[in-house]
Amino acid sequence: MRSSALPSPKAAEVPPLAPSRVRPLLVGGAALLLLPLAMGPLGLTLGNAAILVILAIAASGLNVLVGWTGLVSFGHATWFGLGAYGAALLQRHLFGGRILLPIVASVLAAAALAAVVGFLLLRRRGVYFSLMTLALGALTFTVAFRWTEVTGGEDGLGGLERGALGPLDLDEPLAWYLFVAAIGFLVLWFCLRLARSPVGHVLVAIRERQERAAFQGYPVDRYRLLAFVLSAAITALAGALSAFQHYLVTAETVSVAFSGELLAMVVIGGMHHLLGPALGAVFYLLFRELLSIWTGDWLLWFGLLFVAFVLLSPEGLVGIARRLRARLRPPPVLAAAMGARRLHAGLPLPAFLRRPRRSGAILEVEAVAKRFGGIRAVEGASLEVRGDEIHALIGPNGAGKTTLFNLISGRLAPDAGSIRLEGREIAGLSPHTTCRMGIARSFQITNLFPGLSVYENLRLAVQARHPARFSLLRDVEDIAEIHEETRALVRWLGLEGIEGAAAGDLSYGGQRLVDLGIALASAPGLLLLDEPFAGLAAAERERIAGLVAEIGRTLPVLIVEHDLDRVLALADRVTVMNEGRVLVTGTPAAVRADPRVQEVYTGTGGAPIRRRAASATPRERPPLLQARGVRTFYGNSLILDGVELELGPGEILAVLGRNGAGKSTLLKSLCGLVPAREGSIRLAGRELRGLPAAEIARLGIGYVPQGRGLFAGMSVRHNLELGRLARPHEGRTGVVWSERAVLDLFPRLRERLDTPADYLSGGEQQMVAIARALSGDVRLLLLDEPFEGLAPVVVEELFGVLDSLRERLSILIVDHDLDHALALADRVLVLERGSVLHEGPARPLLEDLELRRRILWL
Amino acid sequence: MELVFLLEQVVNGLVLGGYYLLVALGLALVFSVGGVVNLAHGAFYAIGAYLAYTIAERAGFATGVLLSPVLVALLGVLFERTILRRFYDADPIQGLLVTFGLAMIVEQLLRRIWGAAPIPVAMPQALKGAVLLGDFLFSRYRLLLLAIVALVLAAVWLLLNRTAFGRVVRAGIDRPDMVAALGIRLAPYRLAVVALGVGLAALAGALFAPIAVVHPAMGEEILTTAFVVVVIGGLGSFWGVVLAALLVGVTRGVTIHFVPAAGEAAMYVLMFLVLLLRPRGLSGERIGRFE
Repeated sequence: MRSSALPSPKAAEVPPLAPSRVRPLLVGGAALLLLPLAMGPLGLTLGNAAILVILAIAASGLNVLVGWTGLVSFGHATWFGLGAYGAALLQRHLFGGRILLPIVASVLAAAALAAVVGFLLLRRRGVYFSLMTLALGALTFTVAFRWTEVTGGEDGLGGLERGALGPLDLDEPLAWYLFVAAIGFLVLWFCLRLARSPVGHVLVAIRERQERAAFQGYPVDRYRLLAFVLSAAITALAGALSAFQHYLVTAETVSVAFSGELLAMVVIGGMHHLLGPALGAVFYLLFRELLSIWTGDWLLWFGLLFVAFVLLSPEGLVGIARRLRARLRPPPVLAAAMGARRLHAGLPLPAFLRRPRRSGAILEVEAVAKRFGGIRAVEGASLEVRGDEIHALIGPNGAGKTTLFNLISGRLAPDAGSIRLEGREIAGLSPHTTCRMGIARSFQITNLFPGLSVYENLRLAVQARHPARFSLLRDVEDIAEIHEETRALVRWLGLEGIEGAAAGDLSYGGQRLVDLGIALASAPGLLLLDEPFAGLAAAERERIAGLVAEIGRTLPVLIVEHDLDRVLALADRVTVMNEGRVLVTGTPAAVRADPRVQEVYTGTGGAPIRRRAASATPRERPPLLQARGVRTFYGNSLILDGVELELGPGEILAVLGRNGAGKSTLLKSLCGLVPAREGSIRLAGRELRGLPAAEIARLGIGYVPQGRGLFAGMSVRHNLELGRLARPHEGRTGVVWSERAVLDLFPRLRERLDTPADYLSGGEQQMVAIARALSGDVRLLLLDEPFEGLAPVVVEELFGVLDSLRERLSILIVDHDLDHALALADRVLVLERGSVLHEGPARPLLEDLELRRRILWL
Repeated sequence: MELVFLLEQVVNGLVLGGYYLLVALGLALVFSVGGVVNLAHGAFYAIGAYLAYTIAERAGFATGVLLSPVLVALLGVLFERTILRRFYDADPIQGLLVTFGLAMIVEQLLRRIWGAAPIPVAMPQALKGAVLLGDFLFSRYRLLLLAIVALVLAAVWLLLNRTAFGRVVRAGIDRPDMVAALGIRLAPYRLAVVALGVGLAALAGALFAPIAVVHPAMGEEILTTAFVVVVIGGLGSFWGVVLAALLVGVTRGVTIHFVPAAGEAAMYVLMFLVLLLRPRGLSGERIGRFE
């Protein structure tokens, strides 16, 4: 999931969040004073110095949008030009002879226009936004060039006057420079205050991970619009100054080329540093003035440099300087390891989180439904969370828990039904509104601001409740209440000692703690936790369970979890979902004993299923597939922890286990789609780990994913053809699955070869998916949930086909239909939290329900 | 009389649209492969025009038009392998920045090699003049262009929808993981599609050189138009782009004749209007990673 729009620095290289309070002013001020002195030796004039300051102002304005907020504008010359034309027109028609009034009025007009334009453009993000800024820039140029009556067309608007400001005659180069420099210093001061303000910090958070900022309660759209307007206004100011610099405005100021040059200045200078754009402007001007003496192609070399910087040093010149400095004087390594923490045992919940306990229903979900296309994810679901309980929501994969969760937290809007928080309807409200109304949620897939420190992650959530969150000028360090609450939370979570580390550097367990903290920092009336234990080691689960229990004594909590042991021990009441509906709600003991619930997880052990008798004596043949010590991660999260398995030729192995155990991931690691980080996977002695998925497939592995993975808009014939395309057909390893052999297996498909695959029934689609995977030299077939969503009759038919493949092919099957999976399999592998829990013959588990319950239930 | 004139402008607008279509289609193809919006696409168009001119000077117009796209396609292969490929899985904005920089570089290179002045490209004698069809008077060359664009469009459509190659490409856009799990390496297909996309842009440059203005900044001009077309049509849609290109071409052609100064601005107004009503373009396709 891409978070920031621009290349984010690696966590270890994270620049300090906000520049120091005074130093940039000193550096900037000194530079402004010394600049005129440096011009002479370089062969440049005071006029060049003024132009440089003007460019620095323009680039800084662009950087508010690009560097701080992460929105790339390819058309910022628009605002530069608007400022210039505006000032020129205002002087000519309204404020003859004056200079300050045209400048101020022009900037205000540009800001107003930016508010309107920004509102339209910001409805899109990322790439679409950038393309539209490009179009905007081109449009403005066209208008400037053609609307001759107003803009003077090609000739532009000339005859501008600088006039005098008190005793200063602005036509004097030095006086003019002082005027421009003073304005430049003012802009620097404003940008510094902005960077250190609550708003500035929110902009950075939006850049890092917009969604989380919304879930913290920030109206993200308003902040982005604010950034857009400020950015436009600052650049317009530069444009207005430029008009008086040259006594003339032409369409060149709005050219797309100039937009590009501004962007280049920002990128080359360093977009994450306050003074970066100014540095970029210096570089640009020197480059232009000095290189153009030798060659007319200076823009070519400049372009090459720009590309080089994007590819090699996304942090620009500032980044290079920083890296050099780090080499000379290595910065202290910030401890990110969990061992560096100072833990305080038995701390009470921070004061700001405590609130009066209520025993009635605090959340009422009534007959809520959500459909995605034709799939009913949630149907007629009702549940109730009381103000004094920890409520667990459990159910097998695809039950609809996550969807329901997302409906409650505002990430999705329901198609029907109502969701009420303390009596107020909240269904369909945006995430930030839902947060402000008192619901906070944690995320299962890491949703932190990875480049920001742990402390800042938490502080932002606390700040979202504070009236200062819209302040442009207050200094974040000065707001004591926010810091007090943040520090209390850091201590309570047990993160003291590592709060300065970048959140992305923390171990997975640490990140989950921060995630929990962010949710708590919103001081919610109801806390939603999304699989808080997933991917954690036992000790970390203990700690989180302790924290959740402590929280549960004060706040109502709704938890979605797969770690049934732990969540049933923690919860006061449990709701079980299955296939989009609520099955039952009750106490943990009642749910644990309820046969319907057990059935959902362990199957019914129903009517005996006919199968071909396996050969009595196991043949002594070398194993086809051998996996040892397989460890697989999703990002930082450990999913498979040292899995071992062996599969003989012609054998069928069922992989079972509760949700989150890693079954699908195991299949994906075997076929290379989610590469294992450690361990060995051998197919007939050949090492597979590290090979690209396409190569592994060609070595003889066929994979049928969950949901079948058929190609949209293609017929059965074409799907099958793609399956045959890359596979060898010489039959070097024995059985060759020719087109005829495959169609013999699935005669129904022969009649439907030219039907578009989307029009087939679920069962037929499953057959196509298997037939497609079974081409050429396939010796091992990996099936992920082949029986899912199929009618019983179809399941029987499919079972028969798979049964007939016995001993001709090795099969690894993952399925929740335990009765059929166990009947099909010769052996069974049970996974639990990424490790092998049990391994053995399938028959005992098929026949003995008690044994099944013991191994697979609780 | 007025109607005839209007209709002639519409046809000219269609020709213009065909021109935009080649470039925009190429852009959409490159995009479909790896999700990179190629801001250097206009550069390939410009190189196509310049190369065609240079070759035509020595070997005749037809050779120029045939050879130039092929050479540029080879350049496209180099471009994909060394640069574009790195950005398939990166932040979309990084790809934008790099290709933007490349466009800047190419424009300067063109200026250096061929000079900054516009180059007049001669139309072959046999294709000059006009043709009378009933009451309508059409430029012979423009009619030919229309025919060629239609042919190329049909060929590309056939390639994408009726060949195994096209099916692999579409499957690769739909579910790249599944394609890998079938043992198919997508890299060569992506390479071929990028070469094709870039070649289309070059073809447009070569074909339209006699009636367009060939100068170093021509890439930048066509690029903005191509983007307007793609944004109106919807980034992922073949027919959306076709429709949008024709719409933009006709709008522009007609407007230029009645209100010349507003000719260029008209298409931006059209774009903003479409986006207000249908934020995801005419085809309305949602591409998550770009929002």
